[in-house]
Amino acid sequence: MKNLHFIYYLSLLAILSQVITACNSCSKQGVDVTQDLYVPDSVIEVAPPQVSKAVTEQMMQNISSPVETAALIKGLKIPFNKNFLASTKQAEKFNTNFEKAFALGLYGCDLGYLNMYEKTSFVVDYISTIKRLADDIQVGQFFDFNTLKRLATNNENLDSLILISQQSFNRIDNYLTETNRSMLSAVIVAGVWVEGAYLSSRVAQISNHPRIRETIGEQKTILSFLLALLMVYDKDPSMTKLLDNFGKIKKLYDEVKITYEIGEPEMVEENGVLTFKQTDKQIIQMDDELYQKLIVGIQELRNDLLKL
Amino acid sequence: MKKILFSLLVVLMGVTYFNKVNAQSEEELVQICTMIAGDAEYLKDFRIKLDAGDPPPVQRFPILLKKDIKYRFTVCNSKDYEGKVILQLFDNNRQLATTYIVATGKDYPYIDWVCTKTGAYHLVYSFRDGKAGLAVGLLSMVGTM
Repeated sequence: MKNLHFIYYLSLLAILSQVITACNSCSKQGVDVTQDLYVPDSVIEVAPPQVSKAVTEQMMQNISSPVETAALIKGLKIPFNKNFLASTKQAEKFNTNFEKAFALGLYGCDLGYLNMYEKTSFVVDYISTIKRLADDIQVGQFFDFNTLKRLATNNENLDSLILISQQSFNRIDNYLTETNRSMLSAVIVAGVWVEGAYLSSRVAQISNHPRIRETIGEQKTILSFLLALLMVYDKDPSMTKLLDNFGKIKKLYDEVKITYEIGEPEMVEENGVLTFKQTDKQIIQMDDELYQKLIVGIQELRNDLLKL
Repeated sequence: MKKILFSLLVVLMGVTYFNKVNAQSEEELVQICTMIAGDAEYLKDFRIKLDAGDPPPVQRFPILLKKDIKYRFTVCNSKDYEGKVILQLFDNNRQLATTYIVATGKDYPYIDWVCTKTGAYHLVYSFRDGKAGLAVGLLSMVGTM
């Protein structure tokens, strides 16, 4: 009889564990996608978008991407320039975990730029700096330093260099979020954005390409999401200080006007590949004076935060 | 009785081990997805696990996409589940793209999206007919326009 009871409790335990495991996504029922994140068709208004903490945390990985920024610059046939990059010697000036997370994002962006231009001879210096910073904030185990170093040193499989760099940063972000240190994730994103905007601003000084002018202007949209994300942690004194640093550039961006013309996407299938082409248009309005002020403002912000 | 109990325990442990060994992990799915995406540069992956339901449950991810970039959205299903994943791309309230065309009943392992407006979008994943499923979605960059 005792054995029968034992089997009964064993079965009950097994069923219970199955139910708990299976219920991980029980709450994810059909939803209206417009509820959590409303993005105005016109961002003329100065107020940052009202975005919930959960949504901003999910979105942070996409706010600024080193690969996309570098690809846009390279796509304009702008030659590589080492002088655009932050010197790795500056990394020693970052002391707190907050500062190191910011520097991690900043150098991560530079790594994306180096990878995109396949400048492997400089990569080892940057991945060494990134690894040190990552170790200091206890996320070094997610940065695949040895594989990256091997790929860069042997000049082999450059696509893998980008893939592993990007996956390393994604794993760092996931781990920080899982261990309730998502503020550091947000700070890393801020570092990526500042350096990406800086690289674009340096290109803007040597190129009259209208796309680079638009890139500078559209940072208003990205900055508004970044600030919404950083504001989630505004009770932290270091974050308050960082937000103060962003004050001047935010004020300048308030003067940029962005409006949209909405169109229907076009669908084309070629060689089995289905492509959707968006036909919406974004119109960015800013005069030359404001454009120059934005370039200077971005560079001042980056140099201040880099402690130059 | 003790022998029966012991045999039961061994069988239970064996089944658990077998399931663990053969179950397709999310990491494996990411690797498969990366291969399907081809030359496109990896940007981010999304893990989707949903139970069966009516209406079909969905998992959504807000993302920022940039103008003049051609993105590739790839999807990979776990062989351990019946559900076939569908991706829908939305902006504020409009569906802009999908991996499953209802009119033709055709499923695509990946779709490309030419972005002309920097801003926030939503990736909404569900499984066809509300079946339970495990899948990975991949966001990658084909190039600039």
